[in-house]
Amino acid sequence: MSNTKQYWNSLEQLNNDEAFIAKANNEFAEELPVDEFLGNENLGSTNTSRRDFLKFVGFSVAAATLAACEAPVIKSIPYVNKPEEITPGVANYYASTYYDGTDFASVLVKTREGRPIHIESNKLAKLHMGGLTPRVNASVLGLYDSERQMYPSINGEQASWKSVDDKVTSTLESVKAAGGNIRILTNTIISPSTKAVIKKFEEAYGANVKTVTYDAYSYAGMRKANKAMFGKAVLPNYKFDQAKVIVSLGADFLSTWLMANSYSAQYALRRNPDGKWMNKHYQFESNMSLTGTNADVRAAIKPSEIGLVALELYNLVGGSVTGKKFENDNAAHEKLAKAAKELKAANGHALVVCGVNDPDVQMIVNAINEKLGAYNHTIDLDTPTHIRQGDDEAFAGLVKEMKSGAVDALLINGVNPVYTAPAAVGFAEALKKVKFSVSFADRADETASLCTVIAPDNHYLESWNDYNPVGNYISFQQPTINALFDTRQMQDSLLRWSGINTSYYDFMKSTWEGEYLPATNEPFLHTFWNKAVHDGVYELKSAVAESNEEVAMPAYDITAAAANVLKGAKSGEWEVEFYLSNAIAEGNQANNPWLQELPDPVSKMTWDNYIAMNQVDMERLGFATKYAEESPADMAKITVNGYTIELPVIAQPGQKIGAVSIALGYGRTKAGKVVEQGDATVGEVKSIGQNLFNAITISNGVMKYSSADVSIEKTENTYPVGSTQTHHTMMGRKIINETSLKTYKESGKEVWNPDHILSDAYGNKKHIKDLDLWEAHDIEKGHRWGLSVDLNACLGCGACVIACHSENNVPVVGKDEVRRTRTMSWLRIDRYFSSDMTKLRGKEEGLGKIDMYGQMEDPSAYPEVAYQPVMCQHCNHAPCETVCPVAATTHSNEGMNQMTYNRCIGTRYCANNCPYKVRRFNWFNYVGDAKFTDVNPSQSDLAKMVLNPDVVVRARGVMEKCSFCVQRIQAGKLEAKKAGRPVEDGEVTSACASACTTGAIYFGDLNDKETKVRKSVDDDRAYNLLEEIGTKPNVYYMTKVRNVDEERIHESIAAAHPHASHEGGHEEHGHEESHGEEAHQSHEENAH
Amino acid sequence: MASSNMWSRSKIWLHAAFLSFFLVFSTAGFSQDGEKLFKANCASCHKLDKKLVGPALSGVQDRWESKDNLVLWVKNSQGYLGDHPEDSYAADLFSEFGGSVMPAMPLSDEEVGAILDYIANPPAPAEAAVVETTSAAPVEDDYTVFWLLGFAVVLLIVVFVLVDVKKSVKALLIDVKGEEALAGIGEYNDLELSFGKRAQLWLARNKTIAALGMVVVLVLVLNVVWNGLLGVGVYEGYAPPQPIKFSHKIHAGDNEIQCVYCHSSAPQSKHSGIPSINVCMNCHKGISEGSRWGTEEISKIYDAAGWNAETASYDKPEKPVKWIRIHNLPDHVYFNHSQHVVVGEIECQTCHGEVETFDYPMKQYAPLTMGWCINCHRETEVKMNGNDYYEKIHAELVEKYKDEGLEKFTVSQMGGLECAKCHY
Repeated sequence: MSNTKQYWNSLEQLNNDEAFIAKANNEFAEELPVDEFLGNENLGSTNTSRRDFLKFVGFSVAAATLAACEAPVIKSIPYVNKPEEITPGVANYYASTYYDGTDFASVLVKTREGRPIHIESNKLAKLHMGGLTPRVNASVLGLYDSERQMYPSINGEQASWKSVDDKVTSTLESVKAAGGNIRILTNTIISPSTKAVIKKFEEAYGANVKTVTYDAYSYAGMRKANKAMFGKAVLPNYKFDQAKVIVSLGADFLSTWLMANSYSAQYALRRNPDGKWMNKHYQFESNMSLTGTNADVRAAIKPSEIGLVALELYNLVGGSVTGKKFENDNAAHEKLAKAAKELKAANGHALVVCGVNDPDVQMIVNAINEKLGAYNHTIDLDTPTHIRQGDDEAFAGLVKEMKSGAVDALLINGVNPVYTAPAAVGFAEALKKVKFSVSFADRADETASLCTVIAPDNHYLESWNDYNPVGNYISFQQPTINALFDTRQMQDSLLRWSGINTSYYDFMKSTWEGEYLPATNEPFLHTFWNKAVHDGVYELKSAVAESNEEVAMPAYDITAAAANVLKGAKSGEWEVEFYLSNAIAEGNQANNPWLQELPDPVSKMTWDNYIAMNQVDMERLGFATKYAEESPADMAKITVNGYTIELPVIAQPGQKIGAVSIALGYGRTKAGKVVEQGDATVGEVKSIGQNLFNAITISNGVMKYSSADVSIEKTENTYPVGSTQTHHTMMGRKIINETSLKTYKESGKEVWNPDHILSDAYGNKKHIKDLDLWEAHDIEKGHRWGLSVDLNACLGCGACVIACHSENNVPVVGKDEVRRTRTMSWLRIDRYFSSDMTKLRGKEEGLGKIDMYGQMEDPSAYPEVAYQPVMCQHCNHAPCETVCPVAATTHSNEGMNQMTYNRCIGTRYCANNCPYKVRRFNWFNYVGDAKFTDVNPSQSDLAKMVLNPDVVVRARGVMEKCSFCVQRIQAGKLEAKKAGRPVEDGEVTSACASACTTGAIYFGDLNDKETKVRKSVDDDRAYNLLEEIGTKPNVYYMTKVRNVDEERIHESIAAAHPHASHEGGHEEHGHEESHGEEAHQSHEENAH
Repeated sequence: MASSNMWSRSKIWLHAAFLSFFLVFSTAGFSQDGEKLFKANCASCHKLDKKLVGPALSGVQDRWESKDNLVLWVKNSQGYLGDHPEDSYAADLFSEFGGSVMPAMPLSDEEVGAILDYIANPPAPAEAAVVETTSAAPVEDDYTVFWLLGFAVVLLIVVFVLVDVKKSVKALLIDVKGEEALAGIGEYNDLELSFGKRAQLWLARNKTIAALGMVVVLVLVLNVVWNGLLGVGVYEGYAPPQPIKFSHKIHAGDNEIQCVYCHSSAPQSKHSGIPSINVCMNCHKGISEGSRWGTEEISKIYDAAGWNAETASYDKPEKPVKWIRIHNLPDHVYFNHSQHVVVGEIECQTCHGEVETFDYPMKQYAPLTMGWCINCHRETEVKMNGNDYYEKIHAELVEKYKDEGLEKFTVSQMGGLECAKCHY
């Protein structure tokens, strides 16, 4: 048969765009500035002749050669007194805790020669099973941020700590004497000892001290709802691992909602199709969130309809309130009805969560959970979660008070309200009215730069602290390095200013000795202390008492709440939702280039926020839906609640038609040099994206993160976008193999994961694995390292990507280079949308191949989504190895494809020949080129301390790629050899595998039949990516199984038996329809 | 019963006799040698002329009222303090040194006497040591240049002589045959031509020799260039001057200190580790004077450690020593000491040479080139016996090489030549 496949470099080529053809004919895409240079009139008057020029060249070459021959003198400076625990060259691990008001995680910090270089998960942390978020993984880079405030300052001038202490205490004393008001504005404090410190401070300065808790992203609605219904303003502790049916109404609980790392670990436990049961997840939301993409069933609704969906659901599970019908453009009604039926059937093992910050909607959700009996099984109200205690009303009250001039001194800790508070609140103006303000910020950010005094807090890796996020769970923070700068921990400052001269460390110890020791199982403080600090986590015998006022079970009126919801559900022509993005969240770490360059899991955009709009809307309004290096995105002016900004518009399949969504956390102006890399302008300053916190309104006493008061207007401007994936569908190939739980349970592998059978030269049908063009490598001896990715457990969060960057010194390249597809990530996560067009449908409709493939390229309006982490597949028949002219990439007898940088001459043949496109070329000297000074950590004297000394920093002109973390393999083998025992399973693991919150990645020895990875590879679900081309990778993927009731058989089987394929076809919202063209071909071949 | 009793008793006697003989002999031997006893028992805390951990001992007998008391003090100072509360000198001495306890010494009265005698009459400082210090490190002069110069002079003389001989011969010929007679002979005419012309003529007549000569010259030149280029970046024998003139010969050779005493991370880490100053101070707190450079170099250790010899405490600022690194591998090479020292059980000397014979400055013994590494990996057999890690792979390799009948395998046979074993 003829090969009808066509490949295109870009969409412009595919479309035969005129501009493209013109450009393609030129050798250089841009006009060379020859005329400009030769036209220089001064050129003739220079004295440098051609001969001189040649002399200079000759001299420089000779000088450079001579200079290169000299050995540099390298100094080596040992410790004067070597600390006992440090052995140069050997890493130490310390348990600590990350908490910044957004994320909480118990972590392990890897240090080398006293420098923290990598964040690992702490497997003892039962609360979140060691799970991390990409933000936590990347936080180590923040330690070495040269934009941190390096000294205390008064009125912007550098000051000593003594003068700061004098100034603060004398001012506070005089405020106290005059009976003035002192206010502490802080993020949620979950540390018992810090609370004790604040108490001491309040005692020292009398009754006029008040503490206001404020969260940049508020959950006050939930607290209010719980107070109204259960008498306590708390957030419950959710148990997603107990929920057989989960319905989420706009809650992104796998990425940013509350303790997402904890929930995703619990959630993934129940995504195993071979487990006792697999949970079923329904998502009703407006934007395409990470959680939504992982849902079994997703319905897009407008932000204003979430309340209506809640009402409807309440009625469906047995309530009776007045509701209202909502738009049903993607079968949302049927999906909701089905969800309700399953929720009821789950017999209490059901959970409904809602991400809307509205007390009335949350009350309805509580009522639903009560009707379902969820409070006994999946929701624990008695041991609540202590994070996110922000009180929007108290915050608004404080600003009002400040504006009236009643606040004489304000202490600001851990929050940046000038940036995060809505413009309508007017925090910046209010701050001007405060005579004396102190900020503990780590940098002179938007708020701190307006404060009288900056008393910079230590980085969390330089601090002592204790945290109590939930119930009896205690997590300790210990410093892993001395303070790099002249900073002081916030608690130490407060103690000093309260007239207490002990250090916070001693204070903490005495607090524990005095108050909590009886709650531990240890007889002495030191035994408890050593264990708790060593493990990082400790479970007390009883929960730490919370000072929440408890009232008797109040009488509440669900009908009134329902009426309020109904009243509040005002829809508009356009609606907008503001969400927290997976990488940046509230923008606390905006100056972290690792996070800025981490592609958004769903849109794959880097370095920006944008208006996410459904492609149907975009086509209607004339926006370009495809953008690449030379096709920038169109921009639009969006006015939300009277606040207007201009942003690029990005096509987001799955986004509700008629609504858009924009990420918060961008548009920071005073975070540091990294944010100045952006292409947007905020005021006069360059920034990454725009700040949408400004557009938020306060309604019902809480922050409202959606609006129906929106108008969108296309402008003539365009905007370059750095997207790492410009092709979004699988075009009918078996890239991600998936099936339904029903098919998986009822049918054999041959139906949903068929083998590739090819005919050999003699017409014998053979498995693809048995057909070989080359001699096999001798890989059955010794180790054979392999990796498997369970596509069912992979949620696409990107923690592995950050861990890989951190472990392997992968350079950050900046948006401009990402735009040119020169991102350096060794590990990328491909995201695929399903398309309405399938081969079967194309056949039925009698479409030609060109038309069919053309339509296959377009994702559905509301597609299904699947993620696939792709790293070097370490093929046993690696196409890259055969084309390298200098043998710089070779095969190891342990099954790895080795890349030898010092041999590479940069022909890039290997990258050309790699079917997986995982090889990355160092186009620039990222560690020296001025273009990357502000984005690449290795260019700053400080930030290069984060580099892993066991991995070389690659030079310009060489190829690099995933090495399977060979440094970890070698280290693991060495440990085993030294101990004289075989390598144990789990001892050697790659950075991605150890960072994965959900345990989706296994790494280990494929030659050892007992390893987890070997067992997963032998499983029926396992397959190789692009198996049909015979590369024989050592990386395996496990078929994704969706918990849906319909039949989903593999397309090649469906094509052979066309009748079977029609069962349960949900054409509308695009089901599994992208399977092996090659398999299909092979069947045709066999037929001959 | 009785006989066995007898036997055992006689055995005891025998033992006692032997022991007492040995003791008498040994004490007799020691009592003669106050200096040895002093060095063995006292020198780590006392010097004759300087305060160390304890006071300077010269003239100690004059300071004590009774020698008997002094002997008691030496043998058990704490006991003495308890028994003689009236001795204010002893009490003051104890408090002067911050209450640091002098440990009880298991010495006999005679031995203490011998030590005291030695303290009273120390031998005069050895002149040899002084001489050695002043003469400093003997420099082995390089005479090659002189040889070459001499050789050149001889050559020049030979050339002059030959030219002279030639002239004489020519004059003789003219004398004998007359100038006209010689005119017809080609070779004689050549003599009239310039040197260049003659060389050209010679080359034209001897083409084969010329061509071969050119080839030889070319090969020689290429060889020199090639070897020169191969040597770029190879620093075999690199011996930079160090901030402290540390001699491995004195430490590892003369005093037989184990390598890993100082380079303690070699069995644990990729680095063998340059010892931190506190490791030096373990010994040098007591040894402030060396045999080669006297106090000059050791005082640099004190400087770095912040040790004040006067007050015998660390009360000065610490100044880390900036050693010059000798063994420098390029960044793209990963080398692990513990792999080679612990698993490979390779002697330090295999790669570093007979370090115990290297005086100051220490030098790079091996070329540290990739070829050098590879050669060793090709030849060295992996020590698989008794290490369970290798059990499986060993069986598999035996199977693989069963035709050759191999039982032992080199590093390269295990894949030790693969790029990513060292480059990542």
